Amino acid sequence: MILSPEVLTLFILNALFAFFALIAFVLSVKIFLKWDTNATDQTQYQLEKQSFLSATIIKYIFIIKVPLFLFFIFTMDKISGILPGAMCAAGVVDATAYGVYLILLKILNLYIFAYWLVLHNEDMKHETQPYTKMKFGLFIVAFFLLMSEIVLEWVMFSAIDIQKVVDCCGVIYSSTTSSYISMLFRIQTPLLLAAFYGNFALIVLFYFLRKKEIFALFNATFIIISLITLISFFGTYIYELPTHRCPFCFLQKEYHYVGYVLYIFLFIGTFYGLVTGFVKASKSDVYRSYKVSMLFTFLYVVLLSIYPLFYYIKNGVWL
Amino acid sequence: MIEFKGVIKSYAPNKTTVVHALNGIDLSIKEGEVVVLRGASGSGKSSILSLIAALSKPTSGEVIVDTKKISKLSDNFASLYRRDNIGFIFQKYNLIPNLSVRDNILLPLVPLNLNAKEAQAKLQSVMEMFEIGHKADTIVKNLSGGEQQRVAIARANVNNPKIILADEPTANLDEKLSLGFIEILKELKSLKKTIVIATHDPLFFGLDFVDREIEIHNGSIVR
Amino acid sequence: MEYAINALLRQKYKSIFISVVFVVLTFLLTSVFFIVNSMKYELNSTLDALPQIILQATKGGKHYDIETKEVANILEIEGVSDAVARVWGYYYFQNAGVNFSLVGIDSYETQSKESLSKIAQSYELQTQEGQPSMLIGEGVQKIMKKNYYKNYFNFIKNDGSFKRVEIAGVFESETELESNDMIVMSKETLRDIFEMPESQATDIIIKIANPSEISTVASKLKLMYPNCLVITKEDLKVSYENIFNYKSGVFLALFVIALFTFFIIIYDKVSGLSSEEKREVGILKALGWRIDDVLKEKFYESFILSFVSYILGVILAFAFVYTLQAPLLRDIFIGYSELKPSFELPFVFDIQTLFLVFFLSVPIYIAATIIPSWRVATLESDEVIR
Repeated sequence: MILSPEVLTLFILNALFAFFALIAFVLSVKIFLKWDTNATDQTQYQLEKQSFLSATIIKYIFIIKVPLFLFFIFTMDKISGILPGAMCAAGVVDATAYGVYLILLKILNLYIFAYWLVLHNEDMKHETQPYTKMKFGLFIVAFFLLMSEIVLEWVMFSAIDIQKVVDCCGVIYSSTTSSYISMLFRIQTPLLLAAFYGNFALIVLFYFLRKKEIFALFNATFIIISLITLISFFGTYIYELPTHRCPFCFLQKEYHYVGYVLYIFLFIGTFYGLVTGFVKASKSDVYRSYKVSMLFTFLYVVLLSIYPLFYYIKNGVWL
Repeated sequence: MIEFKGVIKSYAPNKTTVVHALNGIDLSIKEGEVVVLRGASGSGKSSILSLIAALSKPTSGEVIVDTKKISKLSDNFASLYRRDNIGFIFQKYNLIPNLSVRDNILLPLVPLNLNAKEAQAKLQSVMEMFEIGHKADTIVKNLSGGEQQRVAIARANVNNPKIILADEPTANLDEKLSLGFIEILKELKSLKKTIVIATHDPLFFGLDFVDREIEIHNGSIVR
Repeated sequence: MEYAINALLRQKYKSIFISVVFVVLTFLLTSVFFIVNSMKYELNSTLDALPQIILQATKGGKHYDIETKEVANILEIEGVSDAVARVWGYYYFQNAGVNFSLVGIDSYETQSKESLSKIAQSYELQTQEGQPSMLIGEGVQKIMKKNYYKNYFNFIKNDGSFKRVEIAGVFESETELESNDMIVMSKETLRDIFEMPESQATDIIIKIANPSEISTVASKLKLMYPNCLVITKEDLKVSYENIFNYKSGVFLALFVIALFTFFIIIYDKVSGLSSEEKREVGILKALGWRIDDVLKEKFYESFILSFVSYILGVILAFAFVYTLQAPLLRDIFIGYSELKPSFELPFVFDIQTLFLVFFLSVPIYIAATIIPSWRVATLESDEVIR
């Protein structure tokens, strides 16, 4: 078990989250079952007050979770220094069977909590608070996901054995091993690139056509295709090494922490893209979501494309 | 503009007693009217003001302001309604004693996140109107009763509300200041505000600019 | 936002109390981290000077002298650029109750450390009369002086006889951690004191030409000498890192208890709603503040208070650790050498530490204020202002 201060901090904050989330959970269940906008009795009134407490707790958790996630990635990176064989967070993630699931779960939770916030904001704008039941129902689900994440995090860190040698990202993400990830990398590069830029083009198209649901849909697919192309193609240009395929190494100092920037852009862009389609909001709000999403997605694609272009300009050849 | 339909208000200060503040009130006040609610203390007139301001909810019945049913509003929206439509002058003024005049008057505007210029403009206009500008930076607890009242009035007007409510406004004032207050009321009427005053001060009875007097006794309208 | 600052200032005593508690906590926490970081840095610098591979013989699980002739065999291994037999050990000076580190060098050999080669080049280790002499570190000099040994020192050998060695000079080393308890003399003199024959040495250090080959050579060595310990520099670094983490971890575990108490205190304090405060919120809500607005304001209050206290705590820690050199606290962490060296904690600026302390303090404080703030914000305006 690694008992470094960073890991302990994560545990402490997780404990705090668990405690408060539990309170919010109990309240959410009550509200979900008994909420009635038309009632004027004491119970409803109490529920109204309690809904504020829940909302505040959830907001708090999300606000802290976002920087904490970055801190988490950073901790994984730091641990890679102690783990034999690991050169970046990828090795640490792979050190246990849980690592990958934990990261995916964390990302999923970020999206869900962010979505909850948007739903909440929209709900509070209307006197009838039409989404209250829905949002607290959502939280009930989110609560279980959150607890899973916390437990999984505990389990994962406990299971890291500093005596065991782990694979480095070069092994994990290469196209020669037999994991399912490597299957993705055997897809031809031109095809992947076509999918990536094609998806982006579709996003732009439906941005102008203002078709919310399709826009959101293509944003969702964009998440997946981006991650794949990031690891298998664009990453190699950031590292300037055709075999270096790793989604974590470019979070490190030597690459100017560009990984954090890229991921943040991708998250904000696709998140707001999803919001346009999945949250019913006023025209101006939808418009705003469109713009934010397009801006960040655009920035992401541009920043990403710069790397291979620069490489070509500098060296005259592709990798 | 303000309508009460069968409003009953009771509350239980403890488990054994129930107080019936209002027993089925029906009333209707038009926009721009100045109405005086007459009645002894405890007759229920303060409750009526409280209900108009959505500071409390009726036990049964409806309160409708400007076609909106404010009796059913949730806390957030009740506050929003208050912020946009109501200026309340409390009996005890309810100013924050350790803040300056300026800060007290600005309080209703804080959640609006106005930029400094807009806020200042509104502040200036009410301070001038109620002649309290010269004491803008004085801490409120150091002001005289009359001055404090003017601050309370300025604060009630800073958000340009349609309805002004005053609860026993002259209870702590001498005759001179009371008459001053009545002058201010005339001014407010000229601004086309709907004004409802709850008082048992005879100074208010039979005034010509008052459109109506409603007498309340034991929770019901008598006249 | 301004209102929040104003509100805080109006509640002077409460705000100051909370702030002080907060500052003390962050100060303690940050100081500890700073000390640890500095020591790690200091240690890493010393470690860098260490040999890439150390070969130590073991007998019965304990360290034993190694055969010097193995050097020749080791030099045959591909990738090895040099192998040197070292003679060194500890000498327990009973009068002072301390251990000296004795290091033997021969001026014509390549040295294991830069610092040693400098010493070998600049001093003669034999006096004119052919008497064995040595160079001592500053800490050693102090101890010896205290025990009236100014120009020479008598080592007591295993058989009880004395070996007199002249003190040729005092050296300074780059990092004080090593130099303080170190004595340098010729290998011959040292062998005499320890009664170690020529054919044996304390251990053998091995230099590898290409650093990425260290683990390969290490594995080969392990095969060649199954009864020996092969310690690489990486192993040392990792084990030190782990010790530090462990110590920090223990400290943090204790700190968690303090945090918990802190949480309770804060909760209690903030919950203590004076009738003043209740009235104020009642007025605000009557004026049109929504619950959200009140909550937002309370949040600003908490955040400003905690963040300012955090910054203050960090700055104080900086001053304490790097200007005052952290009296008292550092002794908890420097436990591993008998002679307490008086070294200076180097200034290490680590932004990660700042984030760490931030996460351990500010969110926890804000969490403690969630429920009390909510209670205040949901007060019935009506009841309060009647």
